[in-house]
Amino acid sequence: MPQLEFQKVERRFPVRRGLLDALARRPGISLHAVRGVDLAVRPGEILGIVGESGCGKSTLARLGVGLHRADGGAVLFDGQPLDGPDPAGRLQMVFQDPYSSLNPRMTIGAQLEEVVARYHPRLSRAERRARMQEILAEVSLSPETALKFPHALSGGQRQRVSIARALCPGPEILVADEPVSALDASVQAQIINLLKRLNRDKGLTILFISHDMNVVRYLCDRVAVMYLGEIVELQDSAALFAAPAHPYTRALIAAVPDVRRRQALAEPIAGEIPDPFAVLPGCRFATRCPLVEDACHRPQPMRPVPPAGLVRCWKASTA
Amino acid sequence: MSLLSIRDLRTEFQSPSGVARAVDGVSFDVAPGEIFGIVGESGCGKSATCRSILRLFGGAQAKVAGGRILLEGAGDLAAMPERELAQVRGRDVAFIFQDPLTALNPTMRIGKQIAEVILRHRKVGRTEARAQALQLLRDVHVTSPERRLDAYPHELSGGLRQRVVIAMALALRPKLIIADEPTTALDVTVQDQILRLLRERRDSLGASIILVTHDLGVVSQICDRMAVMYAGRLVESGRVREVLDAPSHPYTRALLAALPGQTGRDEELTPIEGAPPSLISPPPGCRFAPRCALAQPRCREGGPPPLLSRKGLAAGHLDACILNEAADAAA
Repeated sequence: MPQLEFQKVERRFPVRRGLLDALARRPGISLHAVRGVDLAVRPGEILGIVGESGCGKSTLARLGVGLHRADGGAVLFDGQPLDGPDPAGRLQMVFQDPYSSLNPRMTIGAQLEEVVARYHPRLSRAERRARMQEILAEVSLSPETALKFPHALSGGQRQRVSIARALCPGPEILVADEPVSALDASVQAQIINLLKRLNRDKGLTILFISHDMNVVRYLCDRVAVMYLGEIVELQDSAALFAAPAHPYTRALIAAVPDVRRRQALAEPIAGEIPDPFAVLPGCRFATRCPLVEDACHRPQPMRPVPPAGLVRCWKASTA
Repeated sequence: MSLLSIRDLRTEFQSPSGVARAVDGVSFDVAPGEIFGIVGESGCGKSATCRSILRLFGGAQAKVAGGRILLEGAGDLAAMPERELAQVRGRDVAFIFQDPLTALNPTMRIGKQIAEVILRHRKVGRTEARAQALQLLRDVHVTSPERRLDAYPHELSGGLRQRVVIAMALALRPKLIIADEPTTALDVTVQDQILRLLRERRDSLGASIILVTHDLGVVSQICDRMAVMYAGRLVESGRVREVLDAPSHPYTRALLAALPGQTGRDEELTPIEGAPPSLISPPPGCRFAPRCALAQPRCREGGPPPLLSRKGLAAGHLDACILNEAADAAA
């Protein structure tokens, strides 16, 4: 059974209307951020969600930990509908900016102990402290870090503290939303190694949201590619990068600059992600796709693609 | 013959805890028509270096404290009074910022903003300036350019805004374009489009470009030559393929080794331990020595080592490693 499952999940955000719109009784509009996402997260895997800004990947992450409610469909955790954040803390989130999840006025040790206490109220003070020190060691921070304030740490150390904070309740799933995007490459590597170790040694399931294809290729077992609120391809990582099936996935991979060589100049895809309010009955990538045909403007279901993937493109099997 | 020759540039920032030497003795040359990349991590001084050329420090308490910035046909920009330098900006040297919104006036239509740049420096009428603005938008492949002339910046996507900024930068046909992280705020498919555009405009106009970035992939994709910067100093420079394929300074090698994609999935990545030094009181000797796995006692002595050519490296491929210096001396 999948540990975390998205079933036809929908999420809209109402867009603020002006006074004139309201007086004129114009109907409110909403941004359809996540559209009918079906996705099953397997226990112990690192599942990557990739896509460009506005594709809905962060909204999906928040739906996955109960920080957003689905307006349609369901998010299931251990088979049960997820109705807000899990009280037992089995689902935890790590954000891009570690500062936002840390209290600037408390020492690292005090904030971590507080989280431990909230989820494990029966522990004695000494046990809480021991647990806090264990978690610091798990994220490779020295015991002295407990006495410091967030501002005294480097960006990489702060991100490790926010991962430590997420580990305090003893989660089964970690949802990490662009956890290395704000870090320099030399520091990124520490955090990536840490996530990989937590997955391998503790069996922690990780949902890894990123726009960086190189990081995703290295870290993730499976990858879901999102475009304008929909998953357009879901594949094992190796298969996805070796033989991307959806034209958008191909464009995304081709656009990543490689340090080892200057790529041949394949034709870039034109344009940018279109207006998210646009009504597009068929493939949402059709406005930019080099292979577009009339049939693309019909609704596109996900179809199987070898070896074990799914792709939302009717041409994928023939292309 | 160089278009730009920077010699021993020193730029200081006033900070509450003292004077930070963000750029501390940097020298390099940019040839006509060349795309020169400056890479490094946050706080290494790459942005300060390129901002020093036009003294664009925003509100920061910063000054060029020494060195020469020789621009062909214009003289030493470092010694030039502010009023003269204002003429150089835009006309001879244009600057492209990371965030196009900071470079655009939010209350003015796109067409008018581009026309203003032309009117300020050229003796042309409004109609002609607008016609030139339209052509510039076409040159940077803005779709439906006639319609965009009357748009406000907020009505455009991030990629379109950056195209408009590039159009403005090209308006006076400058000899040199300085682009400070021009694609960092953009999505990867749009970044690819903007990098191609920069290279295409270089090819058709023959302008030189200094591209400042933290992304080695971007340098690999469009630059001809590059320099790697660390703690206010250049540590390696040369042709892009030589530096990236045969990096000679330990910092460049460590930076490349930290990137995912260099190893198999089963191997751990190799981060660089520690943090860059303070620019207020940098350590003696090589500034990377405290984090360098190869460092010897002699690396931590004396002044910061200069960029030098090496035996075994291609001509024009320089590094500032004390160990490589010693190896050359022994050979």
